[in-house]
Amino acid sequence: MSNQVTLSINNQSITVPAGSTIMEAAQKLGVSVPHFCWHPGLSIAGVCRFCMVKVEGMPKLQIACNTPATEGMKVDTVSSDVKDAHKWALEFHLINHPLDCPICDQAGECELQNYYMKVGKYQSQMEDEKVLKPKALDVGDTLVLDTERCILCSRCVRFEDEVTKTSTLGIFNRGDQATIGTYQDRKIKHNYSYNLADICPVGAFTAKDFRFKCRVWFLKETKTVCPGCSTGCNVNLFQNSNQREYYRLKPRHNADVNGHWMCDTGRTMYEHLNASARLPAPLLNGETVSSQAALQAVTDTLKSVSADKVAVVLTAQFTNEDYKATLSTLKTLLKGTPKVFVWRDESEKAEDFDGILFRGDRNPNTRGMMDVFKEQGVSPVMLKGDFSALASAAAELTLIFGPEVEAGYPNLGKALSRFVEVKKAVYFGNTLNESAKKMWLRMPVKVFAEKSGTFVNFNGVAQKLKANPPVFTAVKGVDEYFADLSKMSQATL
Amino acid sequence: MPVMNSPYNGRQPSEFRILTELEGVPNSRSLEVYKKHGGYAALEKVLKGGMSPDDVINLVKASGLRGRGGAGFPTGMKWGFVPKAPGEKYLITNFDEGEPGTYKDRYIAELNAHMLIEGKLIGAYAIGASKSYIYLRGEFYGEIAWCEQAIKEAYDAGYLGDNIMGTGFKHHMDVYIGAGSYICGEETGLISSLEGKKGQPKLKPPFPAVKGYLGQPTIVNNVETLAAVPWIIRNGAEAYKKFGTEKSAGTKLFNISGPVVRPGCYELPLGYPLKRFIFEDCGGLIGGKKLKAVIPGGASAPVLTAAEIETITMDYEAFAGAGTMLGSGAVIVIPEDVSMVHVLENLMHFFKDESCGQCTPCREGTGWLLKMSRDIVNGEGSPGDAEKIADVAGKMMGRTICTFSDAAAGPARSIPQKFAHEFLEFYKSKQNAAQAHG
Repeated sequence: MSNQVTLSINNQSITVPAGSTIMEAAQKLGVSVPHFCWHPGLSIAGVCRFCMVKVEGMPKLQIACNTPATEGMKVDTVSSDVKDAHKWALEFHLINHPLDCPICDQAGECELQNYYMKVGKYQSQMEDEKVLKPKALDVGDTLVLDTERCILCSRCVRFEDEVTKTSTLGIFNRGDQATIGTYQDRKIKHNYSYNLADICPVGAFTAKDFRFKCRVWFLKETKTVCPGCSTGCNVNLFQNSNQREYYRLKPRHNADVNGHWMCDTGRTMYEHLNASARLPAPLLNGETVSSQAALQAVTDTLKSVSADKVAVVLTAQFTNEDYKATLSTLKTLLKGTPKVFVWRDESEKAEDFDGILFRGDRNPNTRGMMDVFKEQGVSPVMLKGDFSALASAAAELTLIFGPEVEAGYPNLGKALSRFVEVKKAVYFGNTLNESAKKMWLRMPVKVFAEKSGTFVNFNGVAQKLKANPPVFTAVKGVDEYFADLSKMSQATL
Repeated sequence: MPVMNSPYNGRQPSEFRILTELEGVPNSRSLEVYKKHGGYAALEKVLKGGMSPDDVINLVKASGLRGRGGAGFPTGMKWGFVPKAPGEKYLITNFDEGEPGTYKDRYIAELNAHMLIEGKLIGAYAIGASKSYIYLRGEFYGEIAWCEQAIKEAYDAGYLGDNIMGTGFKHHMDVYIGAGSYICGEETGLISSLEGKKGQPKLKPPFPAVKGYLGQPTIVNNVETLAAVPWIIRNGAEAYKKFGTEKSAGTKLFNISGPVVRPGCYELPLGYPLKRFIFEDCGGLIGGKKLKAVIPGGASAPVLTAAEIETITMDYEAFAGAGTMLGSGAVIVIPEDVSMVHVLENLMHFFKDESCGQCTPCREGTGWLLKMSRDIVNGEGSPGDAEKIADVAGKMMGRTICTFSDAAAGPARSIPQKFAHEFLEFYKSKQNAAQAHG
């Protein structure tokens, strides 16, 4: 018995694994079947009744999301009766919807709007008063709920039941009084709450972190990887390119890494990218200098010390390319291997995992860094709470590569004050932390959104970042700085 | 009234006693009286007479017994859908009886709940269920007590338990009290409710016979269906088929409401003439009023005009042929002085209140239909509104998980279509009244 079935959709043939639904077959074929309640990451509810298709031999229209595809099945998604069913399904969804698009934050990425343009475009026959329901409900630290806009697709309820297993949400009452809400005295309290705003096809759930900040049509998305932990969720990063301002991240589907979701911690990974949160230019002894001048100062120092008097302190938040450039350049220039340390926050529990996506190792590239060490023949010493190994190295020059995402380093201030104790500390990073001010040299670096390097996640999956134009044009990535250093050293030889 | 021609000429309803045999018998609810009238003989025949589960299923199939809850699905065939593989299976009795106008199941419990329990035991044996529930409507205080009493008596008498009548057949039974929602009478809505969830119908596939209560194979049968089973086992399929028509075998309980002289619960053979039932058995309309319309099978059945009931017989096929349905057998009689506009508004109110709210066309459509009907009642209607109601109702049909939406759409389509003139008069009289006041 074959475990594949071949069916035709609008006379196009498609083969899918047995047990697939018509919806899945249509998706594979690239045929769009309108839907609200169906979501590939959740169980099938079959309640919106929007995905009606005609199946040859069946007297009634069928829902594509729950009808199994069978061998030889002939499906039609474009005939006039199917189109009429889609139009009416939309009309039923909209008769009690407030149609407050001008003040709704979902406008521009609202499935009701999109489908109205695609399959609706009718004159509504609804002339009666709409059903009124509670609005602007505070349902937790991250979300606002407008139950009037809700189309009761139950995606959020299923997400809470199936993904986070927190079951905070339910649909209460029945008939047209049915209302989405949280159970009494309960709030949405988990690290995946923004996914609810994502999967909500309408403006019922909106994110406190994003609402009223920017209309979505001003945003451009970049497909990249979240730097928030060692899972490396695939994300879309949204920037208003006119303002060079980042506003939010959303998950991007990758079955091998994060599925459809990402955590709330990851959602904050836009905050440190914007100009106000970053060090704009190098500071040498507290004075702003050009990159050229800063790198010249480093070059001069490198010439005067031997390899065993240079210490490199790395955090696992840089790309493979950054590590390679740093280590190979230093080895060439110093004609020897410097002392390498890996700095991790003392509170870190790297093995922790929340069972969904979020990992205790808050560094996106621990695996990649270790791979580069192996390749470069480097055996690092761990600095975690205890910095005595660094002190006893008594280095003349210490190059510190601080964490880009400082949220993963709650003891950052304390650690920085320890680094100040070393001779000639060069700090590569964006921190505006007071404790960093006493460092000899502070070099601002590009953030993940501006780089095109590689992160290797906890599971060994190597993923490429995608670079946007940098917020500060003079700021470079670590790999670029070290390429410059290499050139400058050779020029002065 | 003249005596009408019918295949039952000369026979009175009192002759058709399968379910109502104990009517008028003193102390009819007791086990003792039930046994005196042949009670539990069918169970004994099944368990001790060497009948295999398949024999039971085949006998019920041969009898032509169909589901009495409304859909009329052949009972034996339904039982046959349960997979033979070992594992927990459930038989659930639908005693939610919520269809407006229906009061037949409670009549059975009032006469003798042992009929149901015996039928249930036979059904459980046929499908291999060791556990069954009676899902009872929460408001049925008396019926709850009677069922619980009968179950207790059955346990005490050894008809329920781990070793029934010493045959090794094991079966346990309990009642489950619902919280009062029409949709919990829909078989998968009932299963959801029994599982402790909100009473909402479930998506099919999977079908309950394969994956139902707690994910196990489950059969849901109406009270009246199961109560007929012991008689069929005792008397045989052929005896049962002597009643009714070829495709609608046996007798059925009909509940008549509205202004008739003798309202009540009647047991009649299927195929009985509706007009004769109303005008002879029930004595016609009070005060000699003229009949305007009949809703023949509970609130969800499309309405029939007085002209349409002249020759119609009460069976699944005849009603289906007239575009309506036998449903639960609740005959609602509407006299000449009741406006069909009010009837529509009344029915729409019911469906709006009872839609579970899961599927969009039903959730939004039932509310919309009520608003539109209410507008007309309130004098805010205008020509074209009745057609709009019928049009919206048409778009709610065949588009949802369960058939509730179709049920709501039935009267919303049939009333404006069949009584369009009443709507026109209604707009006019309201306008005139408004002008008089203005």
